[in-house]
Amino acid sequence: MNNIIFRLILVLCFSSNLFAQNNTNQKGHYNTSKFKQLQEELPTPNSQHTASGAPGHEYTQQKVDYEMDIILDDENQRIYGEEIVTYHNNSKNNLEYLWLQLDQNIRAKDSKTPDIKGNEIKTLYSPTQFSNKFIKNKFDGGFKIQYVKNIDNSDVSYLINQTMMRINLEKPLESGKSYSFKIKWWYNINDHVKQDGRSGFEHFSEDNNNNYVIAQFFPRLCVYNNVEGWQNDQFWGRSEFALEFGDYKVNITTPNDHILGATGVLINEAEVLTSIQQKRLAKARKSFDNPVIIVSQDEAIKAEKNKAKKTKTWKFYAKNVRDYAFATSRKFIWDAMAVDINGRTVMAYSYYSKEANPLYGDHSTRAVAQTLITYSKHTFDYPYHKAISVDGQMGMEYPQICFNPGRPNPDGTYSNRTKYRMIGVTIHEVGHNFFPMIVNSDERQWTWMDEGLNSFVQMLAQMEYEKGYPLTRGLPKNIIPYMKGDQSKIAPIMSKGDDLFEFGNNAYAKPATALWILRHTIMGPELFDFAFKTYANRWKFKHPTPADFFRTMEDASAMDLDWFWRGWFYTTGNNDIGIKDVKKYHVTNKPTEAAEKAYARYGITKDQIPPSLFLISEDSDEYSEKIKDIKPQDFEVLSNYIKQNFSSEEQLTLKAPKYIYEIKFEKLGELVMPIVVEFEYEDDSKEMKQYPAEIWRKNDKEVTKVFSSTKAIKKITIDPKEETADVNPLNNSWPKPTENKFEKFKKRKLKS
Amino acid sequence: MKFKKLLLFIFIIPLVSFTLHKYYISLCEIDYIENKQTIQITMGLFIDDIEFTLNKDNNTELYLATNEEIESIDEIYESYLNNNFIIIVNNEQLPYQFIGKEYDDDLVRFYLEISDVPKLNSIEVKNTCLIRDFNDQQNIIKINANKKQKTFYLDNKTDKGLLKF
Repeated sequence: MNNIIFRLILVLCFSSNLFAQNNTNQKGHYNTSKFKQLQEELPTPNSQHTASGAPGHEYTQQKVDYEMDIILDDENQRIYGEEIVTYHNNSKNNLEYLWLQLDQNIRAKDSKTPDIKGNEIKTLYSPTQFSNKFIKNKFDGGFKIQYVKNIDNSDVSYLINQTMMRINLEKPLESGKSYSFKIKWWYNINDHVKQDGRSGFEHFSEDNNNNYVIAQFFPRLCVYNNVEGWQNDQFWGRSEFALEFGDYKVNITTPNDHILGATGVLINEAEVLTSIQQKRLAKARKSFDNPVIIVSQDEAIKAEKNKAKKTKTWKFYAKNVRDYAFATSRKFIWDAMAVDINGRTVMAYSYYSKEANPLYGDHSTRAVAQTLITYSKHTFDYPYHKAISVDGQMGMEYPQICFNPGRPNPDGTYSNRTKYRMIGVTIHEVGHNFFPMIVNSDERQWTWMDEGLNSFVQMLAQMEYEKGYPLTRGLPKNIIPYMKGDQSKIAPIMSKGDDLFEFGNNAYAKPATALWILRHTIMGPELFDFAFKTYANRWKFKHPTPADFFRTMEDASAMDLDWFWRGWFYTTGNNDIGIKDVKKYHVTNKPTEAAEKAYARYGITKDQIPPSLFLISEDSDEYSEKIKDIKPQDFEVLSNYIKQNFSSEEQLTLKAPKYIYEIKFEKLGELVMPIVVEFEYEDDSKEMKQYPAEIWRKNDKEVTKVFSSTKAIKKITIDPKEETADVNPLNNSWPKPTENKFEKFKKRKLKS
Repeated sequence: MKFKKLLLFIFIIPLVSFTLHKYYISLCEIDYIENKQTIQITMGLFIDDIEFTLNKDNNTELYLATNEEIESIDEIYESYLNNNFIIIVNNEQLPYQFIGKEYDDDLVRFYLEISDVPKLNSIEVKNTCLIRDFNDQQNIIKINANKKQKTFYLDNKTDKGLLKF
């Protein structure tokens, strides 16, 4: 008999579905689970990009070496260049042609970049705007290709399609073979302050000088790989670059009074630096705590007053870099500091004009050093010999060198806002040395892969730069307005950079937030950091894809994160979890109406019901004050059970709850996310509980959880620390809040 | 008691990571709370931009959000808003009360309120904040009233939006 009743109880406990059969013929459907694996979204793994997310045993990568002679014409703001390119075909395939990038052609007279932007008549135009728009001759900043030749000086056939140039090979370049050719060119340098751009010059009319920050200044090879073939998508101005690694020998000729910083090791220091500068530099190489001034502000002011007629040539060698850039001006102040990266000395340099001082002098080189230290900790030891920050008044990154914004007020003071923005961007741009300069993802296709990852590690470096550093981008609470915004103006992270509506939120802030949430809420720092580091190490000096990142994060952590990638990276959904209902239960040994009904279905009458405990909700009619203070162990049915089944030692450790709650969570947002809950008890103590996102596996709309405690709960709050980007805080607490944010602010204001 | 969704600010981060050019965007959220007969308005502007404009208007350095900010700054804000932000409720321009402002990173956020609005038949918003000095300025207005949500994107061509119920 006991056995039968036990079985019946089991049936009763699990029977909710049995009585709810629906006879209408419903339509079937594909697997719509938000936990469905990403096998249909991710490319099929192969021997180059494996299922674990690591490079495979047949992974290959092209190599491109450059030897360049570059002349800067300061008088006419022009770059003249000649290069010998050596292309190593390491792929298994023969290549019929090679593709090069001519990025400056977005500023060519016939550029199609302005043509793809819609524009409308404005109500009024200032004379400058009118002239720029309708009258002025258009600036011609495109590449002027003077020749493309073989090494034996015979002509090479080529074709230019906007920002791409195809070298037509006489015979296919076989797998494993190399091919060298020469290009000569020049172009007009753009004024990046007036005309925009990722490189160019800034003009200072007071002393009639230019600061040059020069990049994309030479025809560069496109990436050829096993994922895209030739990555020769046009450069429209926004989605950045995809580049191969190689070795660079570069000679740059500038006016004799210029100070220049560039990618690579300076190999003729004695020819281009004064003996005093060399001595100071030697001192800087041993100064790990404070920057050493190599060119002082007074020296720079002196230099900017004269214009040298003579020139000098700076010679550099850069091994295994994916690009090349330099900055040069007679206005530059230069400071330098040594950084210890796990026992190896790396130099942090800053070049800046007096207009950027003392902001740059105070923070630039220190920010570079902090970046190298924090990023090395989270990825791999910074492998190059130096990293440079230049007062370039933009925010743009190249190997070992980047151009950054921020200037103090004319009187030399600067607000915290200016300071933190300058440090933030400097850390960000120096951080790009890791993503994508070394972990070399395809920026043309996936802006988020370098910007998102980099914006995330940037936050960690900022926190280490200064205690209490005000973080903004990347914190979950700051992405909420974007994620709950107008859906017609939001694209999934997995979109091409050119197609994004809100570039900053989409490619920087949202992926950075996603990683922040993974690290702090979903995986925890220990699992996250190891997996992230594994990804960085697997793909350093290689070309990773999104799948390699997603797969590695799971491979190295034993966490199935497909639901997270699907929700955060492939959709535009947001997170909104609320508390729908909370019921407080008390225990009784008297069968409740619901229990009687359930047993009646099996023909078991009230007095036949076996001894059990029954729960009564405080809001039900059966509840009375009498049972309020009864503890479960006050009932013999339970106390006898405990006596029979636990030893006296065990009994001492048992704690029966006094309060039992049933909490109904509802999910109004499309994302599945963990439920982070804080319980606040009547004695003001608090307890946190986190239910994994998998709680939503069977029901995407709502889920009920039983929570028991020895103390009465005063307040329940979902996501009290704003760590999950929950877009609607008003349904996050029980009891329901009575004031919204506006009213809280008003109350605070009235009080003060 | 049922509450309208608490609306936060769009916190559009200046796009500093490839060029200095950030988005010139402001967000204004207008909630009509029917059971309290009140219109709650929050508006966020980039401090740098409003500082540039107010410095120009007042021919001074205001040092917003620093220790050197003048005590009467709220009056300057209020007067700027009164000249550049107009609300017409049920075909009648209504003054709003300047509840206060708060600084949040790069943003200054204004809290404005129009009380005693028993019924909302139409609301028109005119917002010319920052338009004079920033050609690309876009002022986003999000209205949440009578269970309806509407977004206006105002700029130097279109400076007002009308929502009828």
